[in-house]
Amino acid sequence: MNVNPYIKPRFNTTTAVMADVILALLPLVAVAYIAYGLQALLVIGTAVGTALVTDFVFSAVYVKKTTAVLDGSAVITGLLLAFTLSPATPWYVVAFGAFAAILFGKLLWGGLGKNRFNPALMGREFMAAFFPVMSSAAIWVTKSFINVKEIGFLGTNSYLATYTSGLLYKTTGALGEYSVAAIALGGLYLLIRRRISWHIPFALLAVFSTGFWLVNDGDDLKYSAAGVLLGALFMATDMPSSPNSPNGKLYYGGMIGLSAFAFILAGVRFEYMSFSILLLNGFTPKINEVFMPRAWGHKHDFKALAEKVFLLTLSIAGGVLALLSLHYYGLTSYVVYLYIVYIIFKFNFSFSDKISNPI
Amino acid sequence: MMHITSLKSKTKHIPIATLADPPELYLPLYGYKGTMDLLVQPGETVKKYQPVAASEGVFAACVHAPVSGTIEGIEDINGQPHLKLINNFKDNEYELPSLNPDGLTNAQILSILKEYGIEGSGGARFPTHLKYDVEGRISTLIINGAECEPYLSADYALLKNELPALVKAIQLLQKVVRAQWVVIAIEKQHRELKKLLSPLLPVHAIETHLLPNEYPQGGELQLIKSVTGKELPKGSIPAQHGIMVSNVGTLWAVYNAFYGNKPYTDRVITLSGEKARHIGNYSVKVGTPVWFIMQELGMDWNPEQQTVILGGPMMGRAVHDARSPINKGTGGVLIMPQAKANDNNCIQCGYCADACPQRLMPMEFVRPEARADKERLLQLNLTDCIECGACAYICPSDVPLMKSIFTGKQTLQAS
Repeated sequence: MNVNPYIKPRFNTTTAVMADVILALLPLVAVAYIAYGLQALLVIGTAVGTALVTDFVFSAVYVKKTTAVLDGSAVITGLLLAFTLSPATPWYVVAFGAFAAILFGKLLWGGLGKNRFNPALMGREFMAAFFPVMSSAAIWVTKSFINVKEIGFLGTNSYLATYTSGLLYKTTGALGEYSVAAIALGGLYLLIRRRISWHIPFALLAVFSTGFWLVNDGDDLKYSAAGVLLGALFMATDMPSSPNSPNGKLYYGGMIGLSAFAFILAGVRFEYMSFSILLLNGFTPKINEVFMPRAWGHKHDFKALAEKVFLLTLSIAGGVLALLSLHYYGLTSYVVYLYIVYIIFKFNFSFSDKISNPI
Repeated sequence: MMHITSLKSKTKHIPIATLADPPELYLPLYGYKGTMDLLVQPGETVKKYQPVAASEGVFAACVHAPVSGTIEGIEDINGQPHLKLINNFKDNEYELPSLNPDGLTNAQILSILKEYGIEGSGGARFPTHLKYDVEGRISTLIINGAECEPYLSADYALLKNELPALVKAIQLLQKVVRAQWVVIAIEKQHRELKKLLSPLLPVHAIETHLLPNEYPQGGELQLIKSVTGKELPKGSIPAQHGIMVSNVGTLWAVYNAFYGNKPYTDRVITLSGEKARHIGNYSVKVGTPVWFIMQELGMDWNPEQQTVILGGPMMGRAVHDARSPINKGTGGVLIMPQAKANDNNCIQCGYCADACPQRLMPMEFVRPEARADKERLLQLNLTDCIECGACAYICPSDVPLMKSIFTGKQTLQAS
């Protein structure tokens, strides 16, 4: 190194950051195994394996880097993708999703850290666009695979006991959603290790639950608490696709919570979290711009800031409405097709020149 | 701001030792701004404490011969002119008029600060006579004992061992500024010093302020905020807000000037680092080359196997020339292993923005710097950066953030 500083903290490399996230996700793998046995491991293994192979092959080809696969980010993408899937998802669909997540979600942006959207959720949207079975209710019929139906930690004799057991373990929903407790534990670990900050999950969950509290028939709305928590702690906090400043993070988290709630109100059954996170991912650069921290000794122009926030919120609301209409008419897959065309052009005409830049 | 393992405990309790005089010295001929003109001719024999170079103007500075000897000429080291002085080990002293520190007027004090070459010893080397030319508009005088750079403990050693001398220097400067409130600011990790300082409080009306153990607490703006609560923008002059900040090392130079009749020719530095031997706090002559310091302490100059840093590990400068000397702003010499940098992409973790004491977004500088986009760099407030290195320290991907900050600032200055 030719410029200062000449010291570095120990154990603070990119790989260490990734290792912490993987560690935080491991309890969820264990819970998924308890719930669906080898079937769960097959889905998770296929996702992680395909992600690693794709990362290795296409990093070598496009990013000219053969060691990129070792940074651990592909494992996280694979795990997170698997955690949004039903254990009954056919293996080749899973493999396709992981492949698309890595290639179209990360590498064509220029590699690690340069992606604007969460790669795992991108992979999920690709699966939905190319395999209609993903959007059918049939894929969620998983009774025949169940390994351990329930664990009576506290017995079943009171409402409180059943409710608490439900937080610890249940067998409905996607692979990562079987234990609210395990998700919270992983999130807590990341918070303590400062791999995520509290802003995004806090704002997201606060706005989301306030929404339910304000709407009268909130109790009848169908959503998965574990899914929202998983999204809030692990998906929305994905570093490259989320804002950097504290206020930006609060706004971003809050808007994800609000859009997810709006999607649920409008009857989006499964994809409310991935829609809202991906939508807000798209607004991240703008949020970074608007919520740039006040530099030392500078003053905020609150009028200008209020105007910018208002316009930004308006465009996010427009995005929610547009996505809702597309979803209503079953056209969301066309967004994915358009995205493929966009990202390939963008890679060929601009991203590929900047591959060697660290930013 | 953030916490950095301080590593000061290695050296902070070691008493100050005096390093032998080197056979050759390289006196920096550059000051806070501009270069100095020679007052002597090459080949001339000079006496100890004789002024050998000076500059006039607003940022007037001067340098004195720390030893007696022969002037050899001007040499270029690290792109800066240095005056080479060969020591004749005779210690013939230059005759300076004697001083009566208690009977001086303000103007006399300022002119002695100037003639004795007193400069800010924290690193910036701002001329002290200029800083104190304020005519009593000062309400708070802060003595900066934060020394937030890891490893460095020279200021600590001075506070611990030379407190009465430092207090005399404070009283002398107080004559000029007449501040209502005098504070010695030290980091919490050194709270044992507070006991040492507290007997002075009632007698001299000097307070002790404990600062959080955070980097860069010793930065002037951050220090002022911690002590007074005022957030001054970068580029503002603290004196205009009634605040004066002086470094412990500067007080030591002031004391030596007024009570020892010694121009600024030696200072206390910390020698430390992972590859250093005989670490400790040393009083060395200004102009001592690093090769001599290393040789005296039983080490070899070997740039392939070690990085030699003048200053602290965060803001110091690695030197590749064995002749590189200690100057008035050098707080330490560190011998560190060669560092390996990662080769990773920025993962947008935002750690740099969290660590930035100026609340900037260091990761955003890289792209506009690469395409020399001045407008964008200004919009991102690059000019507010204090170059503390916190962002590059915390970056898990070793993105060359400091490099883009330095080149970015050069780009802005070029306009």
